[in-house]
Amino acid sequence: MVRTNKKGQLKLQQMIFMIVAVTLLFSIVGLFFVSLALSGIKEDAIMLEEKNAMLLVTKLANSPEFSCGDSFGGTRINCLDLDKAMALKENIAKYSNFWGVSTIEIRKIYPAERETICENSNYPDCNVLKLFSKEQNGFSISNFVALCRKESNNGQIYDKCELGKIIVSYEKKK
Amino acid sequence: MKKRNKLGQEELVGFGMIVILVSVILVVFLWLSINKPVKDSVESYEVESFIQAILQYNTDCIAENNQEYLSIQDMISICYNGERCSDDRDSCNVLNSTLKGIIKESWSVGEDTPAKGYNLDILSDIQEILVLNQGSRTNNYKAGTQIFDMSGREIKLSFKVYY
Repeated sequence: MVRTNKKGQLKLQQMIFMIVAVTLLFSIVGLFFVSLALSGIKEDAIMLEEKNAMLLVTKLANSPEFSCGDSFGGTRINCLDLDKAMALKENIAKYSNFWGVSTIEIRKIYPAERETICENSNYPDCNVLKLFSKEQNGFSISNFVALCRKESNNGQIYDKCELGKIIVSYEKKK
Repeated sequence: MKKRNKLGQEELVGFGMIVILVSVILVVFLWLSINKPVKDSVESYEVESFIQAILQYNTDCIAENNQEYLSIQDMISICYNGERCSDDRDSCNVLNSTLKGIIKESWSVGEDTPAKGYNLDILSDIQEILVLNQGSRTNNYKAGTQIFDMSGREIKLSFKVYY
């Protein structure tokens, strides 16, 4: 009877050791995958933010605030009305949180010229229009656009479209 | 002795089952983590927008029959028809030099830059209007195409940037 009890105790001990070992193993494996998944979530959040920025930059030129509309003959895609953007710069405070970005910059690419920031005093003889001047500490995404404006020559008004880029910057998420 | 053996076998079977269970779980987790959707690194929105934007660019060429600066899209048309600018320059030469200048400023192509080369084709349904190439061709590229109508003919503009 005593021997049977001893054997039973040994069996019980063996089982307890096994259960503890298996539980430990599962916990370690579980922790490993949870940490992997958590690091993936952070990556996913950054990727999603970049994707959002990309989507915003592709549709921004076609938004009513920037698009050429019918001002330059017919409906144009990826056409940014520079005169409209200059007018928007004057009232940009009203749009500070509208797009949820830290900066919007419009840069003329071709014809290439020396960098000159656009102000009312030098427009249109400039090539960089900064709409927000918040601090840039995140990432930027750009897209090509046609920069169109009305130009006059000897009293005759004509359309002038050049090549530019619209650059959107986001603040880095912590 | 027989009973002891049987007990030992049962324990071994139990241990084996646990090992198999853990292995299956590990394999499933590994498979799930390996088969995560891969981020598509080749985004073509930039090239598509580039084509749409350059077609609207006004060159310094004025057509003989009107007083407006012609856009790249109009230049393709007058180059195709063999017409000249009002200052007697060849429209195809103006188109060629303007597009080269635009690409040079927009995509810095070279061995030490991300963009290794480019290829621009402007084709009608019957003939080649303009072809521009620079740098090397790789298997990794961003591409875009724009098809538009020109006096009943279909014009296709394709642009590829190689990385």
